[in-house]
Amino acid sequence: MILHPNILALFISSVLICLMTLYATYHGAVILRRWDISSGSELQLSLERRTYLISTILSYFLGFQLVSMFLFVQTADSICHLFVGAMCAVGTLTANKFGYPTLLLKMLSFILAGLWLILNHADNQGYDYPLIRPKYILLLILAPFLLAETVVQGIYFAGLQPDIITSCCGSLFSQASRGIASEIIALPSNPMKIIFYSCIAAVMTAGTRLYMNGRGGYLFAGVCGLTFVVSIVSIISFISLYFYEMPSHHCPFCILQKEYGYVGYPLYVLLFSGVVSGLGVGILQPFRRKESLMDVLPAIQRKLAALSVASFFIFSLIVTWRIAFSSFKLEGY
Amino acid sequence: MSKRIERQRQIIDFTLAALMRRKGKNGALLLVYALVIFVLASVLFCTHALRREADLVLKSAPEIVLQRILTGRNQPVPIAWADKVRHINGVISVQPRLWGYQYDTVYRANYTLMVPLENPPVLGTIDIGSGISKIQGASSGDNIAFTGHDGQPRLFVIRNILDNESQLLTNDLILLSEKDYRDFSGIPTDQATDFVLRVRNPKEYSTIAEKLVRMFPDSRPIIRTEIQRTYDAVFNWRSGLLIVIFSAAALAFIIFAWDKATGLSAEERKEMGILKAVGWETSDILLMKFWEGTAISLTAFLVGVILAYFHIFFASAALFAPVLKGWSTLYPTFRLTPFLDFGQLATLFFLTVVPYTISTIIPSWRAATIDPDAVMR
Amino acid sequence: MIRTHSISKVFNAGRPNEFTALHEISLDIQLGEITVLKGPSGSGKTTLLGLLGCMARPTTGRIFLKEREITSLPERFLTGIRRSTFGFIFQQFNLIRGISALENVMVPAYPNGEKFAQLRKRAMDTMEVFNLVNRADAKIEWLSGGEAQRVAIARALINNPTVIIADEPTAHLDTKLSHEFMSIMQELNANGTTIILASHDPIVYDSSQINRIIEMRDGRVVHEESRS
Repeated sequence: MILHPNILALFISSVLICLMTLYATYHGAVILRRWDISSGSELQLSLERRTYLISTILSYFLGFQLVSMFLFVQTADSICHLFVGAMCAVGTLTANKFGYPTLLLKMLSFILAGLWLILNHADNQGYDYPLIRPKYILLLILAPFLLAETVVQGIYFAGLQPDIITSCCGSLFSQASRGIASEIIALPSNPMKIIFYSCIAAVMTAGTRLYMNGRGGYLFAGVCGLTFVVSIVSIISFISLYFYEMPSHHCPFCILQKEYGYVGYPLYVLLFSGVVSGLGVGILQPFRRKESLMDVLPAIQRKLAALSVASFFIFSLIVTWRIAFSSFKLEGY
Repeated sequence: MSKRIERQRQIIDFTLAALMRRKGKNGALLLVYALVIFVLASVLFCTHALRREADLVLKSAPEIVLQRILTGRNQPVPIAWADKVRHINGVISVQPRLWGYQYDTVYRANYTLMVPLENPPVLGTIDIGSGISKIQGASSGDNIAFTGHDGQPRLFVIRNILDNESQLLTNDLILLSEKDYRDFSGIPTDQATDFVLRVRNPKEYSTIAEKLVRMFPDSRPIIRTEIQRTYDAVFNWRSGLLIVIFSAAALAFIIFAWDKATGLSAEERKEMGILKAVGWETSDILLMKFWEGTAISLTAFLVGVILAYFHIFFASAALFAPVLKGWSTLYPTFRLTPFLDFGQLATLFFLTVVPYTISTIIPSWRAATIDPDAVMR
Repeated sequence: MIRTHSISKVFNAGRPNEFTALHEISLDIQLGEITVLKGPSGSGKTTLLGLLGCMARPTTGRIFLKEREITSLPERFLTGIRRSTFGFIFQQFNLIRGISALENVMVPAYPNGEKFAQLRKRAMDTMEVFNLVNRADAKIEWLSGGEAQRVAIARALINNPTVIIADEPTAHLDTKLSHEFMSIMQELNANGTTIILASHDPIVYDSSQINRIIEMRDGRVVHEESRS
């Protein structure tokens, strides 16, 4: 295990946050079992009070997880030179088969937490807590992912062995070829460009339709989810190339570095805000018929749709700007 | 939307005023919090800066150094090896190097003596580092004597004092001519301390190293990247160790913070009850608590980080230097280059603000869910 | 109208110190009137006021505010309704120490997100009505009993409530201030505000403008009297 301060920080905070969320989940389970809105008993009152606790914990979790994701990537990047053959974060993440799973789990828990907060917000608008059950069921689903993330991250870090000289008489040139893939698999760029822009167009059309007449919630959510995945694949496939101005540098993490103006941060933040708000529209869709939400839900969905469309649009704007004004030409790759 | 912003503003105003009303209690917390962040930030900044310095220094280190090992210890290399090494595919050049250490019993200092590859001093003259010049009180043009391998002193004239800029490298350095050094150290004319290799393609380092070992089984090639990684690991390990040790103190702080948050005074409890009674919702009070925590965390963070920045980069890490630099009588008094990045700040955030916030979540919630009914009585 | 239908309030249910504060109270409180709850301490007046004013939920039974059932509303909605409909004056005034009189008056309105300048003006206008303008910036600790009472009333009025609820308002006041209080209440009532008072002070319940007296004992209504 590498006793790097960043790793310690990630590890400690991950454990703490996990404990907090498990605590919240326990309360959520109690609420699921004993909730009875029509009763005025003390138990019901205390359950209602507990919902505040859970939503507070999850709000903090969301904020922390966002920083944690970026710190994780940043740390992977800064320790890459400890591994022979690793050129950047990609190398560090492949040093051990738990690297990418950790990152994926982090992203997944972030998205689930975001969805939960959207459900919570909608629930609060209804005067009879209409979404209590779906909300806490979602929490029960989120908890194992979060637990898994903490555990997998721990295993990943524990299993990282830097290639260093461990004895004053020894050296280790013989360990050179570890087989670290410092290249990442990238899809061919021209088809990807078409797919990417089609997805963006789809998001904007579906989003406008939803905004205008409130229809197509599930469709919009699906399109957003797809666009999120496509965008990330596109970053790897061709977008990053335009930022690095190198035809073979497909790394999705290096755009977070200072050399490229930290452009990775706004890009990824936009993607996450787009996918969370887009999926949020979908997750609210089944509840449009609920009496206490009938008036407020469409408005919430519209706002989410607007946020999602704006996010993806600005993302594509930044990307297109870069492609259009870069002196780098990517033909035929 | 503007209603929401206005609401936040008014609640923030109220919260800040409330904080100011309880200066004593909050002041103590703020002080300890800032101190914790200060210590932690100092550790992080210092090791990070040192690591970068080492990196910069090592960038100009030789790509491969070839040493010879006998009985597990370093021995001089035969210069004759150079011919065979030169013929290895991929090696551009092989240069023998002459250097070594010398312990000065009078000043109790370790000197590094070296024959520079370029512009060596003429016979009888030497260049010395600023550290040596300081402790011996010697300057350019002075005579200075060092005791050689046979116990006999040799007199030299000082040509230059090596400048302050490169203190990390030259503080304890003595540069002299080859003839002088061989005479001083007793190293035979057909041997050198080690070889420095320049290689055409960095990807070939390991192949070349393998070939070297096969060619001379008692040799030990050291690749620059290995040194860089090892140094890095040492710095990581040291700073990580400090953080782990320090976490005991951090834990005490968290407990203190939690205790303070749980132990609402009667006055505070009453105030919150009144707020609920006049119509503030639980979420309003939670918001108040959130801003309270944010204000305190932000202030402590800024104060701690700024003080740490000054401590490390302007006061040269006065408090930590011994632990992190190692021991020697000749400390270079170099100034660390300031360097701050997102990673360090995020790490600090996760080690301090996150545990603090988590420790206050439940007490804040308890405070926020006070029964307004209780105030009526 | 505020209507309660068979409401009970039990504290510490299921524990050894279980205590029933109210036993199946069914009442109608007319809006626009002055109603007084009369009875000795421990009769449940304060508890009933809390329930009527949406500060707590009954253990059993239902409460209707203007035909809308509010019993099963979650706390967050209840608080919103309370904030806009009710203004409370407490026995101990319960003003926040350490801040000025003006700020105390404005505090209940902060969560509404009203523009600060506008809120401040409204607060000053209310304070002007009660002759408190020159004490606006004074800290609560420096106010006299009468001034504190008027600040408490001004605070209760900041959100333009339909109903004013006061619990033993004259308990710590001398005769002169008590009469002053009652005349302020009457003036507010003349402007359409409903007043509900709990008191065992004769100055209050013998006052001429009272519309209704509800007498309570041991958590039950024992007598109701309507006047004029």
